[in-house]
Amino acid sequence: MDLKLIQRLIAMMRRGGVAELDVEDPATGLKVRLVREGVAGAAAQAGPVVHYVQGGVPAMATGVTAAPAPAGEAPASKAVPAGTPFPSPMVGTFFRSSGPEAEPFVQVGARVNPQSTVCIIEAMKVMNEIKAEVSGEILAILVENGEPVEFGQPLFLLKT
Amino acid sequence: MFRRVLIANRGEIAQRIIRACRELGIETVAVYSTADADAVYLRQADETICIGPAQSSKSYLSIPAIIAAAEIADADAIHPGYGFLSENEHFAEVCRSCKITFIGPEPETIARLGDKVAARELAREAGVPIVPGSDGPVEDEATAMRVAQSIGYPIMIKAAAGGGGRGMRIARNEPSLITGFHAASSEAKAAFGDGTVYLEKFVENPRHIEVQILADKFGTIVHLGERDCSIQRRHQKLVEESPSAALTPELRARICESAVKVARHANYTNAGTVEFLLSRDGSYYFIEVNARIQVEHPVTELVTGVDLVQQQLRIAAGEKLGFEQKDVQFRGHAIECRINAEDPERDFQPSPGRIDLYVPPGGPGVRVDSHCYSGYRIPPNYDSMMGKLLVHRPRRDLAIRTMLRALDEFVIEGPKTTIPLLRSVLSHSDFRAGDHDTGFVERYYGHHPAIPVPGGDAR
Repeated sequence: MDLKLIQRLIAMMRRGGVAELDVEDPATGLKVRLVREGVAGAAAQAGPVVHYVQGGVPAMATGVTAAPAPAGEAPASKAVPAGTPFPSPMVGTFFRSSGPEAEPFVQVGARVNPQSTVCIIEAMKVMNEIKAEVSGEILAILVENGEPVEFGQPLFLLKT
Repeated sequence: MFRRVLIANRGEIAQRIIRACRELGIETVAVYSTADADAVYLRQADETICIGPAQSSKSYLSIPAIIAAAEIADADAIHPGYGFLSENEHFAEVCRSCKITFIGPEPETIARLGDKVAARELAREAGVPIVPGSDGPVEDEATAMRVAQSIGYPIMIKAAAGGGGRGMRIARNEPSLITGFHAASSEAKAAFGDGTVYLEKFVENPRHIEVQILADKFGTIVHLGERDCSIQRRHQKLVEESPSAALTPELRARICESAVKVARHANYTNAGTVEFLLSRDGSYYFIEVNARIQVEHPVTELVTGVDLVQQQLRIAAGEKLGFEQKDVQFRGHAIECRINAEDPERDFQPSPGRIDLYVPPGGPGVRVDSHCYSGYRIPPNYDSMMGKLLVHRPRRDLAIRTMLRALDEFVIEGPKTTIPLLRSVLSHSDFRAGDHDTGFVERYYGHHPAIPVPGGDAR
């Protein structure tokens, strides 16, 4: 597991409001547990605790499998690989709906097909509609509305 | 001064800009493509943002990706480095409209200097010598002969629509001018569908001399002396040095004054370089302005003690230059060698891949600007420069000795590099005598794939 990946995970936790993250690399057996300072105690009410098991080195965007676990669950339990991350195709600002009043494009549990719009990413004042490009079910939304995202950053977990 | 600067580049120049920012107390935002995700210089930045895939057009050349990154990172300025978007007037304009300071000249200046014809006209207006020519199409033999008489032989006949050497002829006398005129014209007609040709004086085996300029937004313009970049291979510079062995103090003063004139006439701001061809008879001609920081800028930093990248940041932030021409002192001799991952034995093919062992040289008088390290993988997507090795010594002969020592010390295992060629160039008697020109590499190494080391064993 490289340092860059851990840095990215930390940045993602900060942006996504994730309080606690367990990462395990089966190739090396290395386990990393990241807990956000100041949020850790409040984890139970603050946000979901997500356990990641890194499936393969190096790209987390393609190699990560993850399952959302209920808040407060005992850490370091073996996570069940259940979702495929959906990486951001561009750098910009993430929006879940077409406007402040509009309904979000997708909610957790929504079924999507390749043509479904899943979010908007704004770059240079251009609203880019992002299509799912696969069929499946949204298991988790990893980014808050209005958060900045970088290229390749996981936005959703999908069951395909 | 800026609070946060985004660096729209990669590799050694991204690292160089991060260093300058950190010394000035400016926060840095480094952007990178997926091919550069594990680059170590990214750790020195305060924030890093992945802006796209390996392909430059979707990452380092993507204006929307870079502007979006600057907006989400809340950067107040962008440093473009060299290459990529550094001389793209459209990018400079977009920065301006997004209220982000572009660290470089104004978009209008970039546009004018980027147009070869407009830049030539600008130099002429400024009273700076340009390569004499017909200034427009030459219709017939008689006109060609008249023009040739006024500018003198040898003459280059060039296709207006040309490029890549096609439709080009060199004429050394009247008969060869007449045959060359018709040959170039018909070749251009066949190749480009346009037989228009023009004439230009052919400067034979010139030296490449360029002058570093700094200009603030209050009209102060200084030059920081010249760099001699005559050691080139197919217009790619390999070795640069300052001062040039070819300039007398009188000629140096004139050429540097010409560079300042061009900069003043262009309303130039920030750091820039004015390039000239110097012929053997001491006449020199303006060729172009590079409206950016250049790869070889550290050569000038070593002999003047001025940090050019810090000056770029200060000027862009609206500070006054803080010194005048008379304050610029030149000390000693500096040489730069470009260390490229290329195989000189296979026609300089790029040699990307993993660096198994990397041990840079050090010791007195040595500077290495490089983003490489043992275990680093040189991506095949970008240029092959691994870094720059520089030396600074009181005299040229001493600088050459230190450079040879440093090249010997440099350990790079894995990719093939230009080090054997550089060692050979630095050992060559013509180079040591300072008697070399832009034809040097082609003349001595053009037809020999194996690199001979004059007066030494071939290692």
